[in-house]
Amino acid sequence: MTIALLMVHGLVAVALLGAITHQTLAAWAPVRARPGSFLGRFRTVPSASFANAIVVLYLVSALLGAILYLYFRVDVRPALERDGHWPSLGLFDLKEHFISIGLGLLPAYWVLWRRPCADESRRMRAVLTAVIAFVVWWSFLIGHFMNNVRGFGQ
Amino acid sequence: MTSGLAFRRFAFTFGIAFAVLYVIALARDLALFTVYPSLGVVLFGTHHSKDVADPAIGFVAPAMYWYGWTATAATGALVLGFLAMLLPDRSTWRFGLAWVCVTPVLAMIACIYLTLPWFRL
Repeated sequence: MTIALLMVHGLVAVALLGAITHQTLAAWAPVRARPGSFLGRFRTVPSASFANAIVVLYLVSALLGAILYLYFRVDVRPALERDGHWPSLGLFDLKEHFISIGLGLLPAYWVLWRRPCADESRRMRAVLTAVIAFVVWWSFLIGHFMNNVRGFGQ
Repeated sequence: MTSGLAFRRFAFTFGIAFAVLYVIALARDLALFTVYPSLGVVLFGTHHSKDVADPAIGFVAPAMYWYGWTATAATGALVLGFLAMLLPDRSTWRFGLAWVCVTPVLAMIACIYLTLPWFRL
């Protein structure tokens, strides 16, 4: 059951990672990129349409992570503490903190993409998207790192 | 349109307040509830093992505070967000737009600072 949840969590995280990376790059790429270029093709995708999917994927991923965290605390963390993986546990704690802060940003993120006002700068929207992208990338990499911290076959 | 502006005020206030309150909850250890996953028990408020029995009980029944810190921040941010919705529509919220970008970054830096002890063990 735990392994199945972890797999689903990982798959949702991959989808979220792809969507937020695409949107972030599209938001930061130059507006007048050459039409045939990679960035030019990136910008032709309507980034705002990603917002709903990103909010849903973030919530689902956070929920699955919150469930798995219970198993992690009981079954995994004691072994990491015993082996002295303190910096790894610190990185994991940061992941949890960043995810919570990202959760709080979701309403503002959704408003900026789905109901933008004329007086709101696109740069601010891009900054907020980049912050959430950082949270997602950090969480993905640290989650993957924690999964492998004890090494293959241990 | 009015409800749209009200929700906009809620969203920005919620984002800013959540980040600030989360750091306060983390720094002051203000968890709305404590989870004991091995026992399947959730207690209201922040509980440490020394409060109930012996510090060694922490190894037997580890406590989790992250859910409680998040709930503390979410509850406070919800209240402040709803209060912001009551403000008149003519209120300008340009400052909120900037702070909703800056505050979470500052909050993450604060979290790094508060997590530094892990890296000194």
